[in-house]
Amino acid sequence: MNRFKARADISAYSIQALELASYILSDWEFKISKSGEVEVCGENAQKGFNELLNEALNQQCRIDLASKNSGIANLIVTKAILSALGEKEAEK
Amino acid sequence: MALKTKENKKTGAFPFNFRKITGGFVISNDAGGHCIISRGGFSKLCKGKKLSASLEASLQDAGFLSHKLDFEKLFSRWQKKNSFLYSGPGLNIFVLTLRCNHKCLYCQSGATGEGAKNKDMSWETARKAVDLAFSSPNPNISIEFQGGEPLANWPVLEKIVKYSRKKQKESGKNLFIALVSNMSMMDEKKAGFLLENEISICTSLDGPAELHNKNRPFSSGNSHALTVKWIKYFMKKHDEQKDLSYRIFKPSALLTVSRYSLSHHKAIIDEYVKLGLESIFFRPLSPIGYAAKYWDKIGYTPKEFLDFYRNGLEYIVSLNRKGVKISEKTAAMLLSKIFDYKDPGFLDLRCPCGASVGQLAYNWDGSIYTCDEGRMIGWEGDDFFKVGDVKKSSYKDLINSSSTKGCLVTSNLESQPRCFRCAYKPWCGVCPAVNYEAQKSPWGNMATSARCEIFMGIFDILFGLLGKKREAEILKSWIAEDK
Repeated sequence: MNRFKARADISAYSIQALELASYILSDWEFKISKSGEVEVCGENAQKGFNELLNEALNQQCRIDLASKNSGIANLIVTKAILSALGEKEAEK
Repeated sequence: MALKTKENKKTGAFPFNFRKITGGFVISNDAGGHCIISRGGFSKLCKGKKLSASLEASLQDAGFLSHKLDFEKLFSRWQKKNSFLYSGPGLNIFVLTLRCNHKCLYCQSGATGEGAKNKDMSWETARKAVDLAFSSPNPNISIEFQGGEPLANWPVLEKIVKYSRKKQKESGKNLFIALVSNMSMMDEKKAGFLLENEISICTSLDGPAELHNKNRPFSSGNSHALTVKWIKYFMKKHDEQKDLSYRIFKPSALLTVSRYSLSHHKAIIDEYVKLGLESIFFRPLSPIGYAAKYWDKIGYTPKEFLDFYRNGLEYIVSLNRKGVKISEKTAAMLLSKIFDYKDPGFLDLRCPCGASVGQLAYNWDGSIYTCDEGRMIGWEGDDFFKVGDVKKSSYKDLINSSSTKGCLVTSNLESQPRCFRCAYKPWCGVCPAVNYEAQKSPWGNMATSARCEIFMGIFDILFGLLGKKREAEILKSWIAEDK
């Protein structure tokens, strides 16, 4: 069990992406400040920090994509659910 | 990859995704249009230079030229391709029992021994499951019996068939019933009932006896011999049907490719041809159930599977040239999507996937899952994909469940960073259950997904062959026969 502190480049990763990534990585505990300071606690904490940045990159891609595509994505899912429920568009 | 919108504005090309293949590029758009284009043609398209008349005509027809778009045609294609978005669940998988007398190396059904107690679906559960199945607004209802070995729970199977045929008449819906069986418990009486009730028969056939029996150990006898015996029986019944009051469908078989199969593509295909089976389905192992547990023994890399797939497909095409009638099912389904803008009912290759909105899996104990893979994960002790229970859930509960919505959101290709810009997006799909099992998240990560690598490879192989005139003619003939 050890601790590691470092700063994440918040021009590359948003705080939201870092937080989402921290929820996914269950092998370490993370404290993330709004300025991007990250404190990692757990076995091989530096590895935890690297994993966090990796996963944050993945999450950042998804956030960026959602901001661009969420309209069409939501439309497709809504249509699939409404049709399965047997509801017509007009009743939506 | 995707061409950037500002580039499209400059060149007059409508937004498209592209991928480099041997000899050129595949380009595709959201309406499902595609072109296989040479490097020179691709370069001209991207730079907005003058195109040859034939290329311009192809690009115009497929919807790639923004100043010459036929919106009605493009929308009609899109709608046909995505017809499943308008219908609701049609496929209902009934896991009649977990009992099975086989010990297949790659089993993903959670089968138990033949003598296990309390692993059969009761009639009360089955009746409620049929009622739920008929609650779907889909006019075409399919019931597929799976297991374990579904014939091990024969009395309930019979009752379901009779009850669902009654429901069919009352509802006016179309009903298609299928049985997936290892045939080891088949007899003349059961076969007669199945035929008279227009039940389509599907079995597993992994190739010649030695290979089949290695993949599918059966302690009470020779699995291959029994499978072959009943394929021949149902084939004969199909071929000889005349003046009957019911239709007899041609039997079909499923191949699961294990490591032992990899070097035997010819022998496997020859076995299918010998039995008169006109379709073979090269299915890779799913990293679920025993297959995941014994991956070191029976698994393989995506590249190894793709080598098998390529060799198999090329061998099938060579047989077709000699007049032998056989096709490969994955390729046939993809071709149908690519050229006919059809949805062939491959629920894993939809956007979003078929979880609950295309299929429901009813487990023997009444629990209901988004799909059979989700049901298997439930058997492993994780009910992430459970959407309800026949005893207490209404049909609307199933569709509105968080598991259903989670699957639909995560399998939406517009929300998948790698997929939304992939040239194969119009015809592909993501499986949240496989992602969850292999990558511990229903979202998955396509950059490192073996499933993605396999489908990407299959598309590459297919488009590589479609770029060759003779091969393309043969492949297209597979879907022409379906029309």
